[in-house]
Amino acid sequence: MLRSCICIKKERRDSQNSSTSSCRSSEIERNAAAISNLDDDRDNRSFMKFLSSTLCFRIVRTPRRGMSMTKVERVIKATLLIQRWYRRYMARIEMKRRYTWTIFQNIEYSAEQDQVRLYNFFNDLLMHMPEAAKQVKDLDEVSTSSAEESLDDDFVDETDDSDDAMDDQKTYRGPHLNLPLEKQDLDMLINLFRKRKYSLHAKYVALILREAAKKLRRLDNINRASTEIKGSKTVTVVGDLHGKLDDLLVILYKNGLPSHTNCYVFNGDFVDRGKKSLEVLLILLSCFIIFPGCVMLNRGNHEDSVMNHRYGFTREVHQKYRHNADRLLKLIDQVYRHLPLGTLINNKIFVVHGGISENTDLNLIASVRRSKYISILRPPTQPNDDASDFKTEWKQVIDILWSDPIMNDPICPTPNKRGAGECFGPETTNKFLQRHNLTTLVRSHECKSDGYEIVHNGNVITVFSASNYYEIGSNKGAYIKFGANSDRYFVQFTAAASKTKKLTFRQQVDNVEKSAIRELKEKLREQKLNLQKQFKMRDVENTGHLSLSQWSEAMESVTNYKLPWRLLREKLAVMNENNEILYENTLQLIEIDDDIKIGANDSNKITDTMYTNRENLEAIFRMMDLDSNGLISIDEFKQACEMLSAYLPNYDVDQMLENCRMMDINKDSLVDLNEFLEAFRLSQQSANHTSVIRNSKLIETTVKVDENSIENAKNNSADNAHDENIKGGDAQVDEYEISEMKEVTSGGRMRKSPSIRSVVSVESLGQTVGNNNETKNDKLQNDDGVAIEDIISKVDDK
Amino acid sequence: MEEYFDIPVNLNDDLDRKIADAFSIFDHHGQKTVDVREVGSILRFLGLVPTEQEVSETIAETEFAGDSSGTVHLSKFLPYVKNLIIERRMEPVAIEKLLEAFQVLDYEGKGFVTRDFMAKIMMEEGEPFSLEELEEMFSCAVDSSNVRIPYEYYLNQLIIDI
Repeated sequence: MLRSCICIKKERRDSQNSSTSSCRSSEIERNAAAISNLDDDRDNRSFMKFLSSTLCFRIVRTPRRGMSMTKVERVIKATLLIQRWYRRYMARIEMKRRYTWTIFQNIEYSAEQDQVRLYNFFNDLLMHMPEAAKQVKDLDEVSTSSAEESLDDDFVDETDDSDDAMDDQKTYRGPHLNLPLEKQDLDMLINLFRKRKYSLHAKYVALILREAAKKLRRLDNINRASTEIKGSKTVTVVGDLHGKLDDLLVILYKNGLPSHTNCYVFNGDFVDRGKKSLEVLLILLSCFIIFPGCVMLNRGNHEDSVMNHRYGFTREVHQKYRHNADRLLKLIDQVYRHLPLGTLINNKIFVVHGGISENTDLNLIASVRRSKYISILRPPTQPNDDASDFKTEWKQVIDILWSDPIMNDPICPTPNKRGAGECFGPETTNKFLQRHNLTTLVRSHECKSDGYEIVHNGNVITVFSASNYYEIGSNKGAYIKFGANSDRYFVQFTAAASKTKKLTFRQQVDNVEKSAIRELKEKLREQKLNLQKQFKMRDVENTGHLSLSQWSEAMESVTNYKLPWRLLREKLAVMNENNEILYENTLQLIEIDDDIKIGANDSNKITDTMYTNRENLEAIFRMMDLDSNGLISIDEFKQACEMLSAYLPNYDVDQMLENCRMMDINKDSLVDLNEFLEAFRLSQQSANHTSVIRNSKLIETTVKVDENSIENAKNNSADNAHDENIKGGDAQVDEYEISEMKEVTSGGRMRKSPSIRSVVSVESLGQTVGNNNETKNDKLQNDDGVAIEDIISKVDDK
Repeated sequence: MEEYFDIPVNLNDDLDRKIADAFSIFDHHGQKTVDVREVGSILRFLGLVPTEQEVSETIAETEFAGDSSGTVHLSKFLPYVKNLIIERRMEPVAIEKLLEAFQVLDYEGKGFVTRDFMAKIMMEEGEPFSLEELEEMFSCAVDSSNVRIPYEYYLNQLIIDI
């Protein structure tokens, strides 16, 4: 939002009162300033009003000095006033947009942090209990070997692969797939996924997964791509997609299908959050199979079953393939563990999902046996390895998938706010690039409102390809095309452009803000008891109110979110005449919500948490149950809880213990697995208790902890379109807005071309993707003018 | 590359904290610095209505000296801006003044100004709008005829948020 005024550029330090500036605008400014002082005088004001209503400026002149203004001057003054005011108005909206962003980001990272902490707890427990560790290792080996076998087996038992009512293979009306996969199969898949008339038979899903895993297994840890040799002309890097199928399709449409002159690097995080993660994954894997050598896949931190449990992909697979989900998920794990970790372009540009840390060593990474990391968060248990070596290697892998860049170098290694990986500054980047003789680091992992961001003096580029990630209108997506001679071509796009086009910027921002506040309130509801405690603590004299500072402090200590609480105050609290906040009001306000669907969300969330944590909790239980009789003592349980509380400070451990004692119905001080799980569920639910009894759309949460009810919960959530962990932006998409900007190095200098904007309608996607061919890509590269028109005219034709 | 050590900033009262909060929204990396180009937005959000020139002055007074990276640190920003607020400079105008301003532009007293006229004057006079600012304003100011801006109606709509 840079504006240019000539006098500002030339003579910045001139104040309004200086007479040396010869700019017309500043001259007017001085006059206007002088006059506006007089305007405050009431007589003058009414006189001015009289003047303006008579329209006879020239005639009416008063003898008072400074009062005579030509018509032109009045117009200029009015213009300045309007501009000044308007800019303030827009700045308020921009501010709103910013803090909304901060809210979303805080919630996202803090959730990741919880997840990681839980896993750190789990890992530490393993370290301290070698017998338990051995149990887990055995389990791992069993699942690994059976999965490896199934890679080579054919699917023998076909009746198992039926889906829903289609027991008989003959009633399946969807398409069929056979190896070897070819381009027409890709076209078919794209059409199928867009139109959603049938779903792909589970055995074909398995076919794609298996074939991909087989091929991935043969690759090195670090892919190599080139814009110079072997006739390859461009390499396009695509960032996080997170299940946004339409974004992927628009990229393939706009940029063409992969080919030897049009290579792709997909930089991780294909799944989770978006509703079409499975489709995105299948299309990417199909491209990988069909266009060998032209598609490179990097593993992201979400290519990990632990993350998928929490962020929606596991649930999506269960919803779409009720009977085959477990088998398919096992195959997906096989794909994940064989995904390469990074890509080198021209030996100069390193593309990796997260980033780097001080210790990142590409040689070490290249030599790791990556297939042993089924989940990145859980290191493989190998008692034979030297503990420190093993930890070093594990850290190398985690760091490149989880780290984030920061503006300045910290004095000592800074842990990432997400809970895994590190924060790396420009010095770290420099050293890394020098050490390996590279020019640039390209990474993804962080949502950027423009779709991409360049930091660290141009050495680090973040590219993020899921538009409308937090909410419709929250951000653009982008991809980067690298050509010969370090040419870089940035393309940004926005889905649902038609939806947002009809709204003004202010309305868009308001919508996104509403969504953010809603999520924030949800998080606050979870912590209601804690919040109450924090308020009361500060209200020493029990007056019922707190100062703005105290209130803000309380909010921050409960959530650990670094938000501008003072600015959010009006949405979350009421202030009285003495500028005091009645905090009881906050506790009430967070219960109220415009969105009626919240009731449904609650039941989902409880079962989600249960489902997410159930595996963790069960594993923890089994580890504590050393004699494997299915029972643990209350004391052991207490110990475990205390350990856990160190990792999850927001978990109310005392409440948990209390519940556990209550649960011990037979009072023999022993807890079995169900009681154990119930204790965790209840402690969560007590915090939510009041919030569930709200408006008329109450949904009873009678989730009993046993196999059947988990199954029911999965089915219920299938009926619910809205899901906490599956983010918005998947509305009826009909139009995309695309804008492109090229950075060309000519004579060693970077030149930016102006943005070209175009609009693409999704209807045209299905057919045109299939028709893309290499000549079109060449056009795009060689002669921009002609190429863009071609695309636009294609749109017009449809 | 200079290393900035953490310069301590004392927040003594609510006004300090309010300024710090607004500042923090644009502080992407948690290091108490913002890009100079954001200064205008921060001032405006705090309730000030500076001209572009006044924004430039603020930048000049608060930018890191001899620094070409274009950053402003909170330690300098806070006292300067606090002063601006206390001295009641750059204060907003009453909405009636705005109405008057539009009425000045509406020479013939028709109750509206034309889109073309507004475009010309906003982009050529005073501290000119960029094309984006203009389009954004028009997206809600222009009525269904697509040529007229009934300013009184427009202002009434916008009052709600100010």
